[in-house]
Amino acid sequence: MSGNEAENLLRRLAPQVLGALVRRYGHFDMAEDAVQEAMLAAATQWPAEGIPDNPRAWLTTVASRRLTDLLRTEQARQRREETAARQILPAEWLAPAADAPIRRADDTLILLFMCCHSALSPASQIALTLRAVGGLSTAEIARAFLVPGATMTRRITRAKQAIKDSGLPFAMPTGSERAQHLAAVLHVLYLIFTEGYAATSGTGLVRADLSAEAIRLTRLVHRQLPQDGEVTGLLSLMLLNEARRPARARPDGDLIPMAEQDRSRWDTDQIAEGVALITGALSRGSPGPYQLQAAIAAVHDEAATAEATDWQQIVALYELLLQLSDNPVVALNRAVAVAMVRGPRAGLDLLAPMQADQRITGSHRFHAVRAHLLEMAGDRAAARTAYLDAAGLTASLPHQRYLHAQVTRLGGDA
Amino acid sequence: MGASRKETPVKYMILIYASQQDYDSLSGRPGPQQPAWSSADFAAMGTFMESFNKELAESGELVDTKGLTAPVHARRIRLGGGVPVVTDGPYPESEEVLASYWIVECDSFDRATQIAARLADTPGPEHVRARAAVDVRPIAESRHELEL
Repeated sequence: MSGNEAENLLRRLAPQVLGALVRRYGHFDMAEDAVQEAMLAAATQWPAEGIPDNPRAWLTTVASRRLTDLLRTEQARQRREETAARQILPAEWLAPAADAPIRRADDTLILLFMCCHSALSPASQIALTLRAVGGLSTAEIARAFLVPGATMTRRITRAKQAIKDSGLPFAMPTGSERAQHLAAVLHVLYLIFTEGYAATSGTGLVRADLSAEAIRLTRLVHRQLPQDGEVTGLLSLMLLNEARRPARARPDGDLIPMAEQDRSRWDTDQIAEGVALITGALSRGSPGPYQLQAAIAAVHDEAATAEATDWQQIVALYELLLQLSDNPVVALNRAVAVAMVRGPRAGLDLLAPMQADQRITGSHRFHAVRAHLLEMAGDRAAARTAYLDAAGLTASLPHQRYLHAQVTRLGGDA
Repeated sequence: MGASRKETPVKYMILIYASQQDYDSLSGRPGPQQPAWSSADFAAMGTFMESFNKELAESGELVDTKGLTAPVHARRIRLGGGVPVVTDGPYPESEEVLASYWIVECDSFDRATQIAARLADTPGPEHVRARAAVDVRPIAESRHELEL
């Protein structure tokens, strides 16, 4: 078998093995290290010696042994330093279980909930999710986020310590807590996807591995919760965006705006799957923000040409989205859609009051959109200034190059 | 007492003990205090345990037998300032703690002792056999029996 097959199998098994270990022995932090070491052992042994008959059992055994070793070392150290690891039991452990039947939930989902715990910063949630559930090594995650390995190691170590300190039990949260946790998980998956889709820094426009990983993890959640509209919406949204990836950049890495993309290069399988998912979800009633964003992406993806885009429908969807949350990025996108329906001045009118909103004026997107609408309205000088403003606000080289190209195209003095 | 009276079977618990260091050497890791078990020793013990348990099951005397995972995985809960406090890994490396138990149901303490004696003779490295101890204790089936 190829090393690649072994790697895919390993990554799929990683959260299952970690879940089994934490469920049986506790110690999320050390169990996670133990699973990483077991995966490393497998990655070197399996391609050479063949996959064992029961790879999951193999990994669980090796990881359990490693966990025992890690615990011994830790406990010996604590005894030397007379710092017994004592932990006060959470109060709810002492009360009889009030909630009805304890259903054996999927371990992967519980792990995701742990990794996206509110005690962690978003950066830590992302890193820990990729490692504990995604099965990526610390070095791989560090590369994907363009930070030194040591930085990522510290980030993950701190994240695990925070989970340990929080005393979070290995169990599926219930009721409203569960909904909150799920929302946090979806947000983290969304961040991983967007990080891969439009890298915030560095030279590569798309770090495809992160996008693919986000889609894989979202599929995992979707398999567990197929009836959840927002999970379905997020998966659909990712697929519909990912479908355009082959057409998003020129071979030299420069960005191509959607209106100029070669639509024959869009991935029709991904579009078909994304459209089917969102259509099914929308038919089940009151859509949340991911479903609405997916619906908007579907309208774009289904238009044979840029001119054929149903902007009326997109405006309507953005208005629904704005009712759900006061998000300046959504307001910005609505302004674009309105400009496409009623002309650039109508779009600029919507942008005017946003000039005071610092949440958006610090983003290159705001100035790029303004530049684009100004140009459509025939005000080339103002458009040029706005493009320059935008270029000064993005750390992404492809974005900078695109925006500077617009400045050059509009000419005039530097 | 009539000779025909059938003895009521009684349950006994047979217990064996091991320290974390014993678990380590059993798993093949040499330690400062004792060498690791050889493959031959390990295999001989496995064969012995298998046939021992099989015989007990066939005679109908075996109620249950289980081994416990390494002592490092233990948690101890005690009251600290009135609230339960958990300590992970409460045993020193050399402390012998319960490692396996058998519950047997048989006619007499003597028969249970006979069974336990076979366990005391489990094959293994000489330094382990020299220290090995097996305890047998009658199980109290009711509170009444505890008050005897």
